[in-house]
Amino acid sequence: MPTPTDDELIQRWRSEPAPLLPLLHAFHDRDGHLTDDALRAVAKGLRMPLADLFGTVTFYHHFARTPPGQRAPRVCDGPVCRLRGCDALLRALPDATPMPCAGRCDAPIPVLRGAELLVGTTAGGAFGAQGDERGWPPPEAFLRLEPSPLPPPYPGAAGDGSGECVFAEIRTPGRATLAGYRATGGYEALTAARSPSEIIDVITQSGLAGRGGAGFPTGRKWQAVADAPGDPKTIVCNADEGEPGCFKDRALMDHDPHALIEGMAIAARATGATRGFIYLRYEYPDTMVILERAIAEAKTAGLLDGFALCVRRGAGAYVCGEETSLLNSLEGKHPFPRNRPPYPVTHGYEDKPTVVNNVETLCAVAPILRHGATWYRTLGLGDHAGTKVISLSGDVVRPGNYEVPIGLPLRTLLDEWAGGPGPGRSVQAVTMAGLSGGLLGAERLDVTLDEPCLRSHGSFLGAGGIMVFDDTRDMVAVAHEAMAFFAHESCGKCFPCRIGTQRLSERLSPGPGGSGPTELDPWTTEVVDIGDAMKATSACGLGTAAPLITDSLLKYFPEQVARHLAARKA
Amino acid sequence: MNQPIQTPAPSTLAAVMEMDGQEVSFTPGETIYEVSQRMGRQVPTLCYDDRLDPFGGCRLCVVEVEGLRNPVASCTTKATPGMKVHTKTPTLERHRKTLLELVVSENPKATIDPLRGSASQELVQLRTRYGVTGERFAGHHSGQSRTDDANPFILRDYDQCISCYRCVRVCAEQEGDYAISVRGRGFETKITTEFDGLLQDSACTFCGQCVQTCPTGALADRKAMRAQADPEPIAATRSVCPYCGVGCSVDLLSKGDKLVGIRPARDGGANLGALCVKGQFAFDFVQHEDRLRTPLVRGDDGTLRPASWDEALDRAAAGFAKALHDHGRHSTYAIASGRAPHESAYAIQKLIRATSGTNYVDNCSRA
Repeated sequence: MPTPTDDELIQRWRSEPAPLLPLLHAFHDRDGHLTDDALRAVAKGLRMPLADLFGTVTFYHHFARTPPGQRAPRVCDGPVCRLRGCDALLRALPDATPMPCAGRCDAPIPVLRGAELLVGTTAGGAFGAQGDERGWPPPEAFLRLEPSPLPPPYPGAAGDGSGECVFAEIRTPGRATLAGYRATGGYEALTAARSPSEIIDVITQSGLAGRGGAGFPTGRKWQAVADAPGDPKTIVCNADEGEPGCFKDRALMDHDPHALIEGMAIAARATGATRGFIYLRYEYPDTMVILERAIAEAKTAGLLDGFALCVRRGAGAYVCGEETSLLNSLEGKHPFPRNRPPYPVTHGYEDKPTVVNNVETLCAVAPILRHGATWYRTLGLGDHAGTKVISLSGDVVRPGNYEVPIGLPLRTLLDEWAGGPGPGRSVQAVTMAGLSGGLLGAERLDVTLDEPCLRSHGSFLGAGGIMVFDDTRDMVAVAHEAMAFFAHESCGKCFPCRIGTQRLSERLSPGPGGSGPTELDPWTTEVVDIGDAMKATSACGLGTAAPLITDSLLKYFPEQVARHLAARKA
Repeated sequence: MNQPIQTPAPSTLAAVMEMDGQEVSFTPGETIYEVSQRMGRQVPTLCYDDRLDPFGGCRLCVVEVEGLRNPVASCTTKATPGMKVHTKTPTLERHRKTLLELVVSENPKATIDPLRGSASQELVQLRTRYGVTGERFAGHHSGQSRTDDANPFILRDYDQCISCYRCVRVCAEQEGDYAISVRGRGFETKITTEFDGLLQDSACTFCGQCVQTCPTGALADRKAMRAQADPEPIAATRSVCPYCGVGCSVDLLSKGDKLVGIRPARDGGANLGALCVKGQFAFDFVQHEDRLRTPLVRGDDGTLRPASWDEALDRAAAGFAKALHDHGRHSTYAIASGRAPHESAYAIQKLIRATSGTNYVDNCSRA
């Protein structure tokens, strides 16, 4: 196929919905980076101010502006990949640069190179002594193509396979195909003759709430969009899964893409929406192929009539998982979060009523309609309705995605389901909500996995990422990497987050990047004051969540903080 | 005697809220910040410019709303009936001070010359009001001044930049130029043009709007700054820009008897704070050494020579008189310069109308 010209690329995309990101990707894929000429052509083609376009492109860390750009490897240096030797991989791969957690903590270490997602390993003697670069094999010796893992077999009580909702069928071979999906009742919920209000009633009664972490009741959101004046309405699936330690949406989309598509089509019917987007994070190129194939299959089968659904690929920005940043990103604007109110249910994509739901939420819709609201409600323990997928990773024997009944004791998940921290080790801390919920120390592992319990301890379940750190780990270092991540991903719109994440990161830094007091009392006062202002005044969840890292560090690991400061002083 | 009965429009009937325990009515659509301004509250802010869409960036204007867990930015939150708002509590003041301390940790300069721009004292004033010393939150600075941008009008002293983006927003929302934008993200955000170049290579028209809205003097009026060292106090004289027919109100800044700068007037009916490159920066001719200091008349050989006012005026009068005598009243025509003061423009039209009896008079500002 001949290389497409600028004009051909612009003609291909300019009349498509949400054209900016796919058009930039088309140039990026063609040239390996975004040249000045490419940006001039895009600005002209889409009639955008060039300065705006330039600024917006620089917001996304995967858009390269210079060679080797996209063709150079990007190695995940998320919290778990650091435990697995990403530093060695970064040294071993020519031109490699680090990227934040790429959502493969159950089978690390993800490496993006060109259009490919590879998995790198430093295990099995591929490397000599750490830091010794002599005699390293070529990159291909420790990079391989490997599909993302399925969730482990359901570890609940024997014969209790019914405890799952979104994972109930995911392990069935062929599930990702239309035929495989339909074999166990797929698309029956969509084709069943239910009125929009019947659909919304069932979803409301089921207690399904936003599984991306915000926990807003799904039925109420759909009702608000159905009631809101203005057309066309839109269903947006938030598949930006950027939270470190979260990889559940990837598993759902890779192995059960039709469940998501059916959920979106049902949401469209319930709300009267005629267009839909799956906003997929850049780091999941394989998933993009799977989703586009599945959408084509569903379209051909006539299942998406009247619902124009397409996938849009992000370009590397954690904050685009925040729904209003995501909407701005889709619209080709600078991805700052919007001020709310108004909310997306009335003023979403292109200021029209819009549902923004997480992948897991949408995947739960069809099973709930098939099995009923009561079935879903009673999957939870006690008063809690339903299930939550937990992405469990780090120092546990069996990392992976586990669909737990809401209210499950954390200890059960850690020790019984995932095999504990390994022989001779104990759990020192876990993170909650990926990194956003901060840390829970060993003495707090008696919590149950539900928001009321976790919030009472100053944390939250959020998107359901839990990273485990055993007793050999340096928790100040973990906290520093977490805060450096938040600083890297802060959008720069609001002062408390933009400066606060940076200052907290500097205070946790062991090396020359550090600054701030070295005495414990003034250090603590500064860190607490910054954190309090961030929690109270930040414009979005990034800034309000980041200080939970320092709060929990001070709460559970004061002696490690003291050691950190003593070392800095020395 | 019948009193006229004033019935409020139905939509405003319930538009009453409470601010710091005091009932206050509001116009639907008004933000809490706007109400607080009317009520004379001193709610601090750094990213607010009443001509621009509310942004919610600096978070200094947060207020407590009863029933809400977290404070809200008053600039982006609309007043609603029954809302109970507190604009100044110990907790809010503590957070505001922390936020200012964070800002000052990046932008430590304690004094900024007011010649830099209309809004240039905003951060300095808040710093004083909250007693921020700059001792806390030491760390890296993100600002990078563009010393390479040698344009004669706008100093890009980004070491003072606090990333409030008022410059970017005024350029887009007020001017429609979209010459500058935000590069990168987080702590590393920078104000940029396309491809991070010089203003002269961008869509910038040097209107100076960014300078006048900048709350720290990071963007500064290079022409006015030439007079920074002059000891006299700055005086402002309201006038109207003579350059074109729009009639933009300006404040002429002077030190002693020297014109040092020109600023758009925010309350100017025609311009509401806007001005163009000529109106703001093109005033050097006023005190230029090449200006005529004495009348000149042309000798018989065609060259100009200095003359007394009497001689020059006699010569001019004679010329006018001859033209009128030989060719009638429409044989004369006067055009006044946009660089002349309004008083001169008035005088010239008076002269031509009264002495020649014609309306053949014009001004280059009309074009």
